[in-house]
Amino acid sequence: MTVLNEIGYLFVRGLKQSMRPTAAMIPSLFMPAFFFIINSAAFSALTHLPGFASKSYLVFYAPVAILMAIFFSSGDAGIDLVVDITSGYFDKLMIAPIHHLSIVIGKLLAVGLRAAVQTSIVILIILILGGTIVTGLPGFLVILLIGGLFGMAWSAIGMSIALNTKNQRATQSSFILFFPFTFITTSQLPLSLLHGWYRAAVQINPVTYILEAIRALTSTGWEWDIIGRGFIVAIITGMITISFVMFSFKRSYP
Amino acid sequence: MPQSIIEVSELVKTYGEVTAVDSISFGVEEGDFFGFLGPNGAGKTTTMRILATLLKKTSGSVLVNGFDVERRPNDVRRAIGFAMQDISLDNLASGYENLQLLGVLYGLSPKQSKARAVELVEMVGLSKVADRWVNGYSGGMRRRLDLAGTLMHRPKILFLDEPTQGLDPQARRTIWDYLRGLNSAGTTIFLTTHYMDEADSLCRNLAFIDNGKIVRQGTPSDLKSGMGGDLITLQFAADVDIDQVELSISRIAGENSAIVAKDHQITLTISNAQALIPRLIQDLNAIQAAPISFNISEPSLEDVFVKLVGHSILDDETQLVKGHDPFVEGRR
Repeated sequence: MTVLNEIGYLFVRGLKQSMRPTAAMIPSLFMPAFFFIINSAAFSALTHLPGFASKSYLVFYAPVAILMAIFFSSGDAGIDLVVDITSGYFDKLMIAPIHHLSIVIGKLLAVGLRAAVQTSIVILIILILGGTIVTGLPGFLVILLIGGLFGMAWSAIGMSIALNTKNQRATQSSFILFFPFTFITTSQLPLSLLHGWYRAAVQINPVTYILEAIRALTSTGWEWDIIGRGFIVAIITGMITISFVMFSFKRSYP
Repeated sequence: MPQSIIEVSELVKTYGEVTAVDSISFGVEEGDFFGFLGPNGAGKTTTMRILATLLKKTSGSVLVNGFDVERRPNDVRRAIGFAMQDISLDNLASGYENLQLLGVLYGLSPKQSKARAVELVEMVGLSKVADRWVNGYSGGMRRRLDLAGTLMHRPKILFLDEPTQGLDPQARRTIWDYLRGLNSAGTTIFLTTHYMDEADSLCRNLAFIDNGKIVRQGTPSDLKSGMGGDLITLQFAADVDIDQVELSISRIAGENSAIVAKDHQITLTISNAQALIPRLIQDLNAIQAAPISFNISEPSLEDVFVKLVGHSILDDETQLVKGHDPFVEGRR
């Protein structure tokens, strides 16, 4: 059996694990839709601020809902892994005569696909509620790609905590990272309207660049520098977090 | 001469200051049904996890199916199946899905894996539920499916860590029947358990382990005959002076006997048990310490263990329940 076969089998298993039961996916779709509907209505007057380029707050906020879909869909990866570890199922995979890294890679790819699937559902909801994707179908596909990449990068944080702590509560607590990484960004206002330490924090938050890339694709058009920067940040973030998963894996299971 | 399929030599495993496995050596012949017995925290699971390539040893040598567990782990893994103490299944997958994934990971083609899964669920009596998610299975069904999973690739050696723990008597007997059948078909079985009746019923060879050391090895009958006779168990009322009774019994029984007193019960191991009873009762009556009840029996493996290490396997369990031994997790 080749490594690709191993990864393929474990990818399918990871995908089934992350999508079962179907009802468990509802919160990760509900939350982005909820925030989208509430915030786009509550803050609609912000578009009257001098310097606020977008005419519709709903259009401005739509990328945040997409980002949330990515966060929520990939955030479960650590929980899935720690459940496998604490139940002993991970040991069962570890004594199979396979390359051990296939276990982690298969899981990461499954997370990436799930993030892309959930992102596409949230985009559909956004479109139904009056949002736009100005770059059309190609832009939609690029959003799924960046969503899948960033989903893998984000899931690696939870997976690292799972491997290092082997504890469900500790792994679950990684959820709190969602708040600073999502809200200390240009999620509420464009960068030109932010000031002081908050603006500096927004600029060093890698998620800002993912968000801006998605925002370009949904509302402003093919701004290659912004989209390219988003991809580069997603890839670099992924390289760092996935390297940390691999390191944690090697350390926990020498 | 039968060949050893498992060879362990001076195996040591330490966790910081704690020595979980303390220089143990033993061999298991091909086709054997080998029992590795001891209380919780004795080092059974640690040893088994080293044999199954899940844990690195500190020192010593371990060969499984002729391969060094650390130099050739994948060769070892192809030869073994391992049913862990905690039943480990993918709860959100069906019985078939669980088995088929294991099959392909062990090198079967998807078609072969599917056929083998069908064969095994039939063998363990789960055909009717094999399409359902495992989270709805009972404990006994889960254990049978777990066992079936270890057999997908037809392993030469089967490691079973407390395979019947938590199961009801009927489910335990069902598992025993499967295991006997597998062993008859040529599979070498390495079983850890703290159920002495299970070991007595299934195993041809045994090793007792306590505090990380092997205290005795042999066949069940050899170990029991080494006790030196039958057991007389005497139960006394709470107001009886048990020390005085023990002293009196030891005088009657003489040097070639063993006495274990626990609470208000005394167990005497002696070769001429039947003949001794009338005098024993008479003398105890004379000191106003007549037993409430008495029983003569052949020694069990539990009795052998008590004689060897001075405490019962179940004593350790009771202590653990009362006071969470912090070293146990490290040792296992």
